[in-house]
Amino acid sequence: MKRREFLRNVSLATAGTIGFPYILPSGRMFAQTTDRMADHVVVVLFAGGVRQQESVLQRYLADSQNESIEGNIMYNLLAGATPNDKVVYGTDSDRPGKDPIPQILTTPLQLQGTLFREMRTSEVIHYNGLNLCVQGNISATQGLKQQPIFPTVFEYIRRHVGVPASKAWFVGSGIGNSIPLLSYSQNEFYGQAYGANFLAPLLTFGEKGFRHLSRAKSYHPEYELSPMEEMKVFLDSSFGRNADVITGINNTEEERYEISQFIENLFVKTEQRQVIQPLVRDNGDLKTIGYACEVLQQFKPTLTVVDLEEVDVCHGSFTDYLRNLHRADHAVGFLWNYIQTQIPEMSDNTILIVVPECGRNLHANPIKDENDWFSYDHSDLNSLRVFGMMAGPGVPQGLAIGQEGVPVGMTADIVPTVADILGVKDEVINQGYLYEGARSLFDRI
Amino acid sequence: MNYFYLYIFLLCLGACLVSCQEREVDFVYQLNQADVSASEINKNQEKTLEQYISILHANLFQKALSADELVELRDCMTSIGDKELGKQMIVSNFMNHPAIILPTKEDMRTDIDKFIKDTFRRFLIREPTEAELAYFRNLIQRQPGITPELVFTAFAMSDEYRYY
Repeated sequence: MKRREFLRNVSLATAGTIGFPYILPSGRMFAQTTDRMADHVVVVLFAGGVRQQESVLQRYLADSQNESIEGNIMYNLLAGATPNDKVVYGTDSDRPGKDPIPQILTTPLQLQGTLFREMRTSEVIHYNGLNLCVQGNISATQGLKQQPIFPTVFEYIRRHVGVPASKAWFVGSGIGNSIPLLSYSQNEFYGQAYGANFLAPLLTFGEKGFRHLSRAKSYHPEYELSPMEEMKVFLDSSFGRNADVITGINNTEEERYEISQFIENLFVKTEQRQVIQPLVRDNGDLKTIGYACEVLQQFKPTLTVVDLEEVDVCHGSFTDYLRNLHRADHAVGFLWNYIQTQIPEMSDNTILIVVPECGRNLHANPIKDENDWFSYDHSDLNSLRVFGMMAGPGVPQGLAIGQEGVPVGMTADIVPTVADILGVKDEVINQGYLYEGARSLFDRI
Repeated sequence: MNYFYLYIFLLCLGACLVSCQEREVDFVYQLNQADVSASEINKNQEKTLEQYISILHANLFQKALSADELVELRDCMTSIGDKELGKQMIVSNFMNHPAIILPTKEDMRTDIDKFIKDTFRRFLIREPTEAELAYFRNLIQRQPGITPELVFTAFAMSDEYRYY
């Protein structure tokens, strides 16, 4: 394909995207059942297992280490005064963690939107908890290394809203714990053809990625790519089996070209240390959020799901858990601020949803860290307690719903909530795959 | 004396063996020879990521990939959701590797048919059909910019190469 021809095609495709409705596989031309509340949704899986006690309840060391020090270490998300003693969660200076990271959002997300103080999950294992968030349900047979059984939120949105592949992204903190599998399900009516573009930037742009991916050649579109494509098309027609249809997530050639250029540019930016990054970037979640901002900036996706996981260090170090919880808050604050200030197309047109995939135990395990503080696993009833938060156009501001002992909402609500925002709630619910009690969080307000 | 009898015995044994062997005759019946090889129709199993990477490496470097490198390459491909794109990037990186074994452009153009047949055998483990041979022959003759690298990349990215 000649460069001019390629550019023309891209322009036509873009014009088509804007000007014409999608003809959906279901045969429907116009998918929306109701008006959209926003054109973009960003879901942050505030994952790794977050205790209510140190997050929304703001009890710092009071409910974990038998020290009567309370306070809020997530001041981008939550309103509340910070701890005034034994501060270990900040950046290092003369004492490790002494300096809290400066607040990014002058108005915490809690006051910009709606806080669900006490939600529930039914899963205490990371992968299952994440599955519940992206499927809106979970099968009893769902296990690790197994593609989701029910359709994921990506598939619903791509199929029922008619979103192209490059407008649905799943940015993962890594490839462990079967995380990449969450980008599409094994459901026969949805599946890979409606999956999200997955990216685990810490790996792609890490040491291994540089070693094996960064030397990719840029072929000349007219003299090299075009004949190469011609040969491939001929071979494929001889073979008579279109593997792309069978195994691909249906990025068009133009989308694939854009993604490959995006990745190529990110290798250069990574090498030159020009990737978007928060002020503090001393853990994986903060770096991941920077790359997620790059994805948002480039593709302006309809749906983006970002997975964080660093707080899971709580199995062996409570101090590091507090540090990473503080950083996850910094990451979300940075992300929201970046959308509002650096991406005009998404500013005031994006709804942010934040939810942990599971909580952590009420009682500690026997492991003590460097501060003699006990660690926490996730296996008891306290691990089923989580919070949730939404902000953006149409979300009631300054509202806090539910309290300890009076839960409102569940993590399975995320899927119908996203569908609600994008105008396809009824269509998604009517497919019959969601947990029977799952509802849009807007319907719980 | 003993050596004399042994010599006679071996001589007789050899004569017996030679006289018992039936001469093989190739009957042609005025038809051309036809090689029987695997057809692409039988390729219905998709290669796993690991199989794809290790076979690709063997095809391009003619040596096995170390286990460590295989795991690293698999991880890199897993980090990108679009598997087609991941494969493109891996192939392209291999093509940029100094140890890659590629025929020169001159080799390719000196005997185009041989190059095409070798490429089919290397990547698709079969002979090209006459139509395939003619297509590639014409393409290579018509377009001077075609290099073995471009041909190899097209084969490595083809749907048939993903199956066995």
